Amino acid sequence: MVKRINLIIVLALFWVSNLIAQETSYQKKVLESTEVDILMSYYAQDGIHSSVAGGEGTEELTDYTSSIVISMPINNNDVLTIDVGISAYTSASSSNINPFDRSGASKGENEEEDEDEEEDDKRALVKGVDNGLASPWYASSGASESDVLVHGSANYSHSSEDRNTIVSGNIGFSTEYDYFSIGVGGSFTKLFNEKNTEISLRAQAYFDTWKSIYPTELDTYLLEGGLDADFFQGVTITGNPNYSPTNFAINSDEQRNSYSFSASFSQILTKSIQGSLFFDLVMQDGLLSTPYHRIYFADRPDSYIEDFQLADDNENLPDTRFKLPIGMRLNFYLNEMFVIRSYYRYYYDDWGITAHTASMELPIKIGSKFTAAPLYRFYTQTASDYFAPKETHLSSDEYYTSDYDLSEFDANQYGLSLKYTDIFTKAKIWKFGLKNVELRYNHYQRSNDLDADIVTLGIKFVN
Amino acid sequence: MKLITALIFLITISSCTTVREYQKININDPDMVLSAQKIEKYETTFQTYREAAAGANGGKTGGGCGCN
Repeated sequence: MVKRINLIIVLALFWVSNLIAQETSYQKKVLESTEVDILMSYYAQDGIHSSVAGGEGTEELTDYTSSIVISMPINNNDVLTIDVGISAYTSASSSNINPFDRSGASKGENEEEDEDEEEDDKRALVKGVDNGLASPWYASSGASESDVLVHGSANYSHSSEDRNTIVSGNIGFSTEYDYFSIGVGGSFTKLFNEKNTEISLRAQAYFDTWKSIYPTELDTYLLEGGLDADFFQGVTITGNPNYSPTNFAINSDEQRNSYSFSASFSQILTKSIQGSLFFDLVMQDGLLSTPYHRIYFADRPDSYIEDFQLADDNENLPDTRFKLPIGMRLNFYLNEMFVIRSYYRYYYDDWGITAHTASMELPIKIGSKFTAAPLYRFYTQTASDYFAPKETHLSSDEYYTSDYDLSEFDANQYGLSLKYTDIFTKAKIWKFGLKNVELRYNHYQRSNDLDADIVTLGIKFVN
Repeated sequence: MKLITALIFLITISSCTTVREYQKININDPDMVLSAQKIEKYETTFQTYREAAAGANGGKTGGGCGCN
């Protein structure tokens, strides 16, 4: 009898312990808690090759951007990420889509002066003296001087129970005055070899729509009766007074579609080294030119209103483009203080451009909470088959652009990132703890006289 | 391209060694992540505007904005 009772007690204890074990063994979530990332950036550039002014003119531009990215665990296996943001820019170059607002010539109404100071001696020499007249070297004050871009996207990812398979889908949009875009995509990721190897496939498509705006003298001439249009009344056209941009036509297609197929392969090489390879195959079709980029032909006489040369045409580029970038990363954990992050990319496209990008970042851990990371990036590209400087293309050419973003150049970028991390998230705002704060600055210098600076502040909270 | 092929080969043959989960403390360091970091998002955006090349970094490849 006692033996039977003992047996029952042992069995009962085994059952209870098994039950407790079942209740307490839970699957670790893919994402343990909600994460909120706030990003803010300030970007400023200046240069002398405005594509709006046909390759010669100010490229001064500033941009303020902020966005919030919220990642939420939906259940143990699923994560929803929402990303919304807004970007506001002012661009001296874009303002010169209608350069005559500034002086009041050609029915302009706004006579607000641009009061920006000259900082670069070379540019000051090129620009000459600001006499308040229309000029490619000074901002106009029309509607195209500034714009706001709003973007939003949602990504949903599902991980398998063993965390070796991840499937995700995304949808997004962005909108600004003359451009609207919708994007959809999906990815499939497989991990194996005890999560030492990862292969990922991704497909993405963007369906974009231009609301074309053109250099003001071109569409006015074409749509409002040539030189009889009100726009040309009461102003003096110097140089060639018989201005006649006969090449110009309104775009019949305002769609731009982009399709990309990507594959990546990641591998842990040792306990302290891992690397990855990326392959993208990108196809674009539709309106790939920018409608407000001016062109000045070598075989057409030059006409001016005030100090601004009237365009012979706008940019004309092929309606298809094929791109093939191949990239790789190799990261080394040297010791508790130093990590090396390296990156290289080769790029080819069928517009005649090949490019190489190499960058290196050296995160240095200072104590348990601070990281400083100096970084350097080098970029070089060949010119597109369709690029030529101002007054070089012929009006008989099939395709032409004077956009220096498609010219041959090298670029150097130097930067520093400072990061504070508190894994215990002691500092709280409402229900969220501060996980890290990162401030990152980069100076960018192109060999064809364009300089830029960007400062980004990132703050991460976790619930 | 030869360099890329050589690196692919190197990475492939090196994959014979398996690093166990408990040995991944260095690999799991946040600075070792094999993608562009979130804070690089706007740098990548301006580079996509100012340069012809884009893509192969886990981010945008063109489209979705007024840039190339």
